[in-house]
Amino acid sequence: MTSTLSRPALTPPAASARTTARRHRRFKLSRALYLVGFLIVTAAIMLPVIIIVLTAFKPASEVNAYPPTLAPTVWTLDNFRAIFSELPFARLIGNSFVFAGGVTLFALVFDSLAAYALARLDFRGSKVLLIVIIASLMIPFQATLIPIYQLVSDLGWVNTFAGLILPRAADAFGIFFLRQFFLSLPRDLDNAARIDGASEFRVFWSVVLPNAIPALLTLGIFTFVNNWNDLLWPLVFTTESDHGTITSGLTLLTGPGGIIPQGVMMAGALIAVLPLAILFLMVQRRFIESVASSGLK
Amino acid sequence: MTTSTLHRRRPRRPPGQLGGRRPLNDGFRRRAVVVGFLAPALIILTAFVGWPMLSALRLSFTDASGFGQETWVGLANYARVFTDSSILQAIGNTALYAVLFTPIALVVALVLALAVNSPQLPFREFFRTTLFLPFIVSLAVAAFAWSYLLDPQIGLLNYWLQAVGIRIGNVLEDPALAMPTVVLVAVWKSFGFYMVIFLAGLQDIPKSLYEAASLDGANGWRRFTNVTFPMLSNTMAFVVVIALIAALQAFDQIYVLTGGGPYRSTQTIVMEIYQSGFKDLELGFASALSYVLLVATLLLSLVQFLFFGRRGEDTSS
Amino acid sequence: MAAFAVSAVVVSGLAGCSADTPAASDGPVALTFWHGYTEADGDVLNGIVEDFNASQDDVKVTPQTKTWAVIDDTLLTALSSGEGPQIVAMPAERLPVYASKKALVNLDDFYADDTSNTAELNTEAVAMETVDGSKYGVPTGFVPLSVFYDKDKLAAAGISTFPTTWDEWVAAAKATTIDANGDGTPEQYGLALPDHGTVGNGVWASLFEGGGGSITNDDGTEATVDSAENIDTLTYWADAVAKDAISPTGLDGIDADALFTSGKAVMHIGGPWMTGLATDAGINYGIAPIPAGPEAQASSAIGVSMAVTAQASEAEQAAAEKFLAYFNEKEVATEWSLGSGWPALRTDVTPEDVNANATVAALTEFSDTSRALLPGVVNSTDVLTAVDEATQKALAGGDPAELLTAAQAAVQQALDN
Repeated sequence: MTSTLSRPALTPPAASARTTARRHRRFKLSRALYLVGFLIVTAAIMLPVIIIVLTAFKPASEVNAYPPTLAPTVWTLDNFRAIFSELPFARLIGNSFVFAGGVTLFALVFDSLAAYALARLDFRGSKVLLIVIIASLMIPFQATLIPIYQLVSDLGWVNTFAGLILPRAADAFGIFFLRQFFLSLPRDLDNAARIDGASEFRVFWSVVLPNAIPALLTLGIFTFVNNWNDLLWPLVFTTESDHGTITSGLTLLTGPGGIIPQGVMMAGALIAVLPLAILFLMVQRRFIESVASSGLK
Repeated sequence: MTTSTLHRRRPRRPPGQLGGRRPLNDGFRRRAVVVGFLAPALIILTAFVGWPMLSALRLSFTDASGFGQETWVGLANYARVFTDSSILQAIGNTALYAVLFTPIALVVALVLALAVNSPQLPFREFFRTTLFLPFIVSLAVAAFAWSYLLDPQIGLLNYWLQAVGIRIGNVLEDPALAMPTVVLVAVWKSFGFYMVIFLAGLQDIPKSLYEAASLDGANGWRRFTNVTFPMLSNTMAFVVVIALIAALQAFDQIYVLTGGGPYRSTQTIVMEIYQSGFKDLELGFASALSYVLLVATLLLSLVQFLFFGRRGEDTSS
Repeated sequence: MAAFAVSAVVVSGLAGCSADTPAASDGPVALTFWHGYTEADGDVLNGIVEDFNASQDDVKVTPQTKTWAVIDDTLLTALSSGEGPQIVAMPAERLPVYASKKALVNLDDFYADDTSNTAELNTEAVAMETVDGSKYGVPTGFVPLSVFYDKDKLAAAGISTFPTTWDEWVAAAKATTIDANGDGTPEQYGLALPDHGTVGNGVWASLFEGGGGSITNDDGTEATVDSAENIDTLTYWADAVAKDAISPTGLDGIDADALFTSGKAVMHIGGPWMTGLATDAGINYGIAPIPAGPEAQASSAIGVSMAVTAQASEAEQAAAEKFLAYFNEKEVATEWSLGSGWPALRTDVTPEDVNANATVAALTEFSDTSRALLPGVVNSTDVLTAVDEATQKALAGGDPAELLTAAQAAVQQALDN
């Protein structure tokens, strides 16, 4: 569909005014069609999200009613009220920020340091090290969860933020991702700084990192979203609810017999996802531009 | 703005040439610098990834349950992986899932990335954000939304289609359709992630290349095959490996949608790992199965790298 | 700070040994108790714990409310490092696997002791706690599956008393199945009969037993699922569903719940929580026992067990047993029954004792016909998966005899492992 729309103009520059006008009209029409088509595709993709949002405003009797309805026939805020009365909401959200934010900050610092070494400091075995790091992504976490837990327990970190955050303070995906970005930065800049006598750390800190801010934002968003939404990790490492996150807290919303009150669940999910959506909106511009320039080449 | 000029890619000189990095004369100091940069991440990774992986490797030769008593059983767990018919079925299902998921997810992500990258499209930022939403909603509520749509009795889609005389069957309970449906939901959930990475690659392609292609008379499709696709080959190599790893570890979406059914038709390797480890308390066997998966993923990734990565050798330093 | 934390990782990581937390020598023994009663029933249970704590000075139990799914997903990890609870409640079918892996304490001596108040417990409920001849838990819940029905819709079809036999039941389901437009797909189903993943996994166990069959022998060592009785039962229900379309196929327990609350199904086999869901959905519901099959009236029970974990020290075990004994007292058992909405676990609690709660009284009436599901079978997951495959395929049109032969082999293999 793009192909017809953006077919390049082959007409010589001296084309008659009439042709230009017609082409202009055609361009406008196709643009409108393109927009309409894309809106339809987007709406189809968004349908499940719309269901989540609208279900949050349905009374319990309507959630599973037949015939099914997209929008509530009676709008209610009961589900939101239930969330706030049943869960220590402020605390769970706060914990989520500490956990996801903490992991993100640590991971950005540690990953970028390691990625810099792998991209810029040619040392023997760097390639092997990279492969080993990537290979560590290939074991399912279910296999290592118990050994990790035993280690965290030996350290006395169960039910602490340290136990939640530090095991994830560096991660292989982030190192791989940032390394690819650093590779794409021209070396002339850091070489110039080196010739001026700057230390490696200074080159990293003052030359490479400032140029990598967009990539860091990109990785930051990925890391933050993944940890914010992670369920099993906070459940396993916080046997007491003081350190639970909003995502793990929502599991407590099961009704009698383990039946989940769907409306309340959707309301909770909506509130839980709001910070992420706002965050994404805020950094979206630089974020896209960033992955943009990271290029992963 | 400054960043974009800085990031403009240019041909790199091979190391050691004039203007390339000056080797530090003090070898010891240099090694110390390397260690300094790597240490924080490597300490974390060694402690919380490497050590647990070694523990799991050791457990894979035992009958550990997780509670202490362990007996060395040699290769028995590995032998069971390759003789247990239900495990072999899970391996087959996982392969099918990966074969379906990886190309579909990447094509959808790439097409949508091209679309929201196209100057023809107004409100691009709105669409970018909107299309990223499925990636950030939690899977549990997404699963509810999908079953609300797909339920054969009280589902919305069925109700709407009935009006025009179409009736969708029970797709999640049909052994032939359950896997494609699970893949569809998984693609829906994750394309936003890959789309953002593709957008990245796309914006990095110099406009001058398109202009040159246009002057040569290339139409949209030709420009895609001659410019966009080759210029994306590095991004593609990265994304293919990441998507493949994700596909071979398919678990969450299956757990919430079908639980591996009907008749084990969506039972994957990681579902088996979870069930044998956390339900049957056979940690040793779960570990062995994990290592089989690790080795298979590693081999497939190497093949991918060789296939896609040959051209763009600047991935390697 | 980060650097400090990091070096701490390495040092203790290499040291790699865990220091046992010594139990405080003074003051009461502190115990943690995980349970999955998240609703009003949880408040009642936590109240019972508080009363217990107040009743003596030696033991202090701290309850932690999670969901059953979360307990199952996190118990193994926690116990692997001695960070788990000393007392844990779990769905009864999960107990044998933990017991067989030595994660739970053997309670035979506790049961032998008169002060444990276990003598009057429902023996079928206690059967759920028995693995390889030893007892590893105390029941906290044992409730028969029962039929929930929409009184108004049955009345509209002219049915005023609830059926007591399968034939009457199927006739009632036929009478309430409505296919107004005649497209072969009813708009209203008489019954929501799940064919896999049923509530408490017990729907088919109940039906097989009603037809005189079973899934395994009594001590859970031999598969008995491939029997003439079971073939008849499966054929009977597959015919009713396939020919008369009294129920959709491919339902699991949760789908069936939703179908009933949506008003598209008139009758439904469920647990006591259906009362809440039906009320929310505005359904004028009734509760009845599962109608009798040709051989027996039987309903499989949904069970919950409470056990002491092996990580508990001897002093903690003794303390935990004190709590279990308190929980088994008649007065507490009655309070728990009324608060949880589940029938009492002691046989000496009569329907009159619990008539304050109509549901409990109704369930208590017929709780003596309820049977434990696959008691003592460690690998119940695989057994139930095999049975599910047979029932789901049969309702979709498969041959019951062939399917049960295949299930027999799979069940036997699961029992042998």
